[in-house]
Amino acid sequence: MSASSLRSFEYLEGLPGTTFNRLYKQPSTALAIFRRMLPHLAKSFVMALLYISHPMPVTDLEAWVRPDGRRERDNAVSLLERLHILAAATNPGKPRAYALTNPFAASLRLALTGGGNHNSFGVPYNLSEEDTMSVADLDEFARRQWEGVLGYMVGSTGMNVASEGVTLSQGVKILLASGALVEARGKTVDITKDGFAFILQEVNAQVWTMLILYLQNAESLNMDEVDVLAFLFMLGSLELGLPYSKANFSQTQANMLEDLGDFGIVYQASPDSSYFYPTRLATTLTSDAGGLRSSSFASTADNNRGFIVIETNYRVYAYTSSNLQIAILQLFARLITRYPNMVAGKVTRESIRRAVSMGITSDQIISYLTTHAHPQMAKNQPVLPPTVVDQIRLWQLEGDRMKATVGFLFKDFNTQAEFEAPCRYAEEIGVLVWKHEGQRKFFVTRHEQVAAYLRNKSGKGG
Amino acid sequence: MNAPPLSLLTIILDTNPHAWALLTPTLPLSAAIANLLVFINAHLAFNNSNKVAIIASHTQRAEFLYPVPSQDDSLQANGSAHNGAQNDLDGDAKMVDSDEGSGTAAGDDANHYRPFRHIQTILLSAISKLYKTTSSESLTPTTSIAGALTLALTYINKQSIALSTTTSSKTNADTFVAPSDPNLIQPATLNPRILILSVSGDLAHQYIPIMNTIFACQRLTIPIDICKIAGDSVFLQQASDATHGTYIALTHPRGLLQYLMLGFLPDQSSRKYLVPPTAVGVDFRAACFCHRKVVDVGFVCSICLSSKSGLSTVLCWNYSVRRRKAPHV
Amino acid sequence: MAESDDEYVQDISDDEVEAHQVTRSAGTGSRATGQGSRGAGWEVTRTWENVVEGADGTISSTVEGLLEAGKRKRLLKDTTPLQRGIIRHLLLVLDLSTAMSEKDLRPSRYLLTLRYTTAFIAEFFEQNPISQLGIIGTRDGLALTISPLSGNPNDHISNMQKLFEQEPKGQPSLQNALDMARAALFHAPAHTTREVLVLFGSLLSSDPDDIHATISALVSSHITVTIIGLAAQVAICLTLATRTNPLLPPSQTYNVALNEAHYRDLLMRATTPPTTSHSTTEDSGVKSSLLMMGFPSRIVDPSPTLCACHSRPTRGGYLCSRCSSKVCSLPTQCPACGLTLILSTHLARSYHHLFPLRNWREVSWARASVSSQKVCFGCQAPFPERPASLRRQSISGGQNHDRMSLATSESQLHPPKAAHISNANKDGVSESGRYECENCRRFFCIDCDVFAHEVVHNCPGCQSREGVLSFQTRKGGE
Repeated sequence: MSASSLRSFEYLEGLPGTTFNRLYKQPSTALAIFRRMLPHLAKSFVMALLYISHPMPVTDLEAWVRPDGRRERDNAVSLLERLHILAAATNPGKPRAYALTNPFAASLRLALTGGGNHNSFGVPYNLSEEDTMSVADLDEFARRQWEGVLGYMVGSTGMNVASEGVTLSQGVKILLASGALVEARGKTVDITKDGFAFILQEVNAQVWTMLILYLQNAESLNMDEVDVLAFLFMLGSLELGLPYSKANFSQTQANMLEDLGDFGIVYQASPDSSYFYPTRLATTLTSDAGGLRSSSFASTADNNRGFIVIETNYRVYAYTSSNLQIAILQLFARLITRYPNMVAGKVTRESIRRAVSMGITSDQIISYLTTHAHPQMAKNQPVLPPTVVDQIRLWQLEGDRMKATVGFLFKDFNTQAEFEAPCRYAEEIGVLVWKHEGQRKFFVTRHEQVAAYLRNKSGKGG
Repeated sequence: MNAPPLSLLTIILDTNPHAWALLTPTLPLSAAIANLLVFINAHLAFNNSNKVAIIASHTQRAEFLYPVPSQDDSLQANGSAHNGAQNDLDGDAKMVDSDEGSGTAAGDDANHYRPFRHIQTILLSAISKLYKTTSSESLTPTTSIAGALTLALTYINKQSIALSTTTSSKTNADTFVAPSDPNLIQPATLNPRILILSVSGDLAHQYIPIMNTIFACQRLTIPIDICKIAGDSVFLQQASDATHGTYIALTHPRGLLQYLMLGFLPDQSSRKYLVPPTAVGVDFRAACFCHRKVVDVGFVCSICLSSKSGLSTVLCWNYSVRRRKAPHV
Repeated sequence: MAESDDEYVQDISDDEVEAHQVTRSAGTGSRATGQGSRGAGWEVTRTWENVVEGADGTISSTVEGLLEAGKRKRLLKDTTPLQRGIIRHLLLVLDLSTAMSEKDLRPSRYLLTLRYTTAFIAEFFEQNPISQLGIIGTRDGLALTISPLSGNPNDHISNMQKLFEQEPKGQPSLQNALDMARAALFHAPAHTTREVLVLFGSLLSSDPDDIHATISALVSSHITVTIIGLAAQVAICLTLATRTNPLLPPSQTYNVALNEAHYRDLLMRATTPPTTSHSTTEDSGVKSSLLMMGFPSRIVDPSPTLCACHSRPTRGGYLCSRCSSKVCSLPTQCPACGLTLILSTHLARSYHHLFPLRNWREVSWARASVSSQKVCFGCQAPFPERPASLRRQSISGGQNHDRMSLATSESQLHPPKAAHISNANKDGVSESGRYECENCRRFFCIDCDVFAHEVVHNCPGCQSREGVLSFQTRKGGE
């Protein structure tokens, strides 16, 4: 499971059970959650149980899984239970048995067979030929909008990123600030540590992070989060390049369309037109990272996946002309030359140290370089030269030679025994950071319990 | 990176009208196809990038049902028969287009995930085309499983090649592996498997080609799953056994969907954790070359290796071949 | 014996084992001599000269053509059905002398040989499931059994593993190894082949006696010896190979590996069962006979029962089809009644050697344009459209297009491109990207062509053809 789905999953898990009930009423949501959130084995369980009329006894399910797969089975089952997909029913006189919860099972069945009257897979809009948008146009739109958002964030670092004429709406800026991805400082904005982490992620993960932020803010915007979620999952099931009608949309959904347009997730000609297009950012929402990579997104859309070549001599060559990509690269590399379609630079100790001081971790840099490796480089195994990877890690560690811990020092013990007892106690409760036997000193992160212990002891002694 | 693997499921549907007619009281073909569609959708629901291909193993030919080429692939041999079919297919395609315009059809569309609907439309029209082009004299109790398997393998091979070139996931070619090594063709990311829904028996006359495909699958580690709805076939059982596939002979054909969902839906990576529902005994008998009968004790010619059921065979195939090119009798 | 004494007398002095005669290389020293088709060893193949700029100024079309030619080259092999010795007895002789520690083959001749041999064992039993294999090593002037003749690949591979911990040392003795091989093959039944495959890294053989006598003995016991050299051609090896395979050209029986990949190709070639032609059949005593074999079915008992082979309680197993005693694994001989028990799948594995798939024909644009088949019959991939320039040409030139004349007239328009096409045709590449099976008249793409001939050994078209199934088709094809 990729990081993005983990994040969205964490959010979902926190929802109350009734929310799930309402969510699962939409077949598209049921399908999207099934496809996107569940581990592989859990999917098999769900499908096996989907068309069984009677609950499946727990023992049967256990017998179906091999003994060495027990851990995976327990994981899958507990996840399904947490997402309120699977429920263990205990009827008197019968063994404990698993069954799928009802709105979910019914919706998933509907999704698989078709039928019903839920319109959750989008109503296509009948548009005349000359008004249609081509897929390439949509990709270009999505790229421009999304790069605009990223550029807004990166641009704040003082690097010169041309905004390409994208003006961000106030809503987007507020959203970025509320997610602590940027910090407003007077007129300018500064990118935060989380912001850097965000920028170095894959597009799909970025979109999800942004949407979760949006969800979290939904209530403050007087939006029903179930509505919002269901709408997002519906977007994921739409087909790229087709216009869809927004005739039956609620006010919440209509508002959302506008906001999502700012991100480039959907396209509408004007806020009051009666149709919209999902862009690739939307239609790949519910596909996995693997699906994204194999799609043609790589070649057409915004972050040309795979353009960086890094050599064992720390030289970096990036085949890109995008200011945004160059700015991101500049976060951790010293760029030396720029050509029309390529920049060349070098990863140096200083450049890495500077990135680390901005809050970027070496792992983020390495994963960024790996995911954006040039196809020619990606053929190598491992993708990045090991020397470079090690060195980047070492450069980060250099900065970590000193680590500050806030805490309390206990000293001036009279006897060794007097020192040892509280010291051992502190170790047991897991607050001890450091101790020095000779000087009879020890350092803890929290002092309340240790102090209470000492008082107790002295009280007894005295 | 622990992304769920994408898998390519190739379904070989035995469409022998003769056998399905016999099954009508318990499981008519239409019901089976409806069940199969749900199964296909479930497979596609597993992962966005999952793929499916469906091949009909008809009485005397094998044909792709999905994906169908955009242009008609009619052969010179039966061009006239195909012309009608082509019109039919075009008519269907037009209907789909016009559907989207009209109000009721659009509503239906909104209730069905588009990729699912797409496959359903193509599959149903391909099957009706198949049956329309079936002449009554070509009805035999057999089915061309070998052809369908070969088509499935070539398709899988092409898809693997296509995948490995697009994602360039192929690791640096090991210098110690000669390019002739077939394992090189298969990238790690595509998990192909073959599912055969079999209704007719009597495959002994296709023994060699079936065996050839089984060994190809074995080398490429493609499991062949067999869902035996009716009939009996020794070789399909051997196929699933040799390729570590699942073999289920349905005792209640009505419950086809449940068998499919429980037994055949999990792909290779889930199967690691699951106890396979496998038949206990496997029939490993061979087919004799002279009478195409399945034998359990036979005589094997040491040089040409055909098995003979008895020495006094008069004019069997084996004999004639040996007469022609092997003067060792 | 006397003559070899004279010839090599100077070598004895500096070799430590006095009792041994040393047969030293009289070869030319060129590693490539064994490679008749590839010409002299120092000749450099100028691959870059084949690359010609296409009409659009890029070399992509040429590169694609070359790739396709490469794919196809390996394919165009002889597909006439031949009688092959399917039941084989093969002894593999490994040179374990100091010459093997050379590092001209990476990581070293020794390690590479061991690694390839392990792969060879697996592949050998894949191709020849009812055959027997044995491994002999030679070092310090001695021959030693590494793995005795048996039909179990796992035994051989585990025996091979021990060699990885040892170092090559001393001189090899071809004669000792061959004598040992001859003794091991002595009991091989008449209907099987008797083969020895030598992997020889040294340029000399340190023998106790006259090796020519051993060769004569090998010839009289119908043992064929094939040799893969790792250093250079050695005269005695050539003699050995030619004398024991009088009917085969030396290029098929004695080769020197040029590089790692070539070495592997040579080794893997030995997994294909050898052809047994008419005369060798009689000479070498390979006689056909009908063997009675049982094809048992696998059973799974509800409770463990004793098996007949190891007397261990097992649940699964195979019942002998004649006497119903239970055995654990196949292929084997029934311990009770002596019937050979094999899986029918074992037998069937060799069928494609007996009934090879015929090569497919290249399709010219002229023929392609007549057909309505737009996609590959096998994988449904669309075929390339006929280029507009060619189409125009064909209209002006009428319906009768000879391919060569087409190419030449074309060359006036786009010289480099046309040159490439006619070049490529020589390599068996179809100009239209289509390949036609002559039986079912269907077109396939290059990938399916390679796949069908190399892996499946079935023609997708013939197998799914209206009205014709199975053997009748194949027979017609032969």
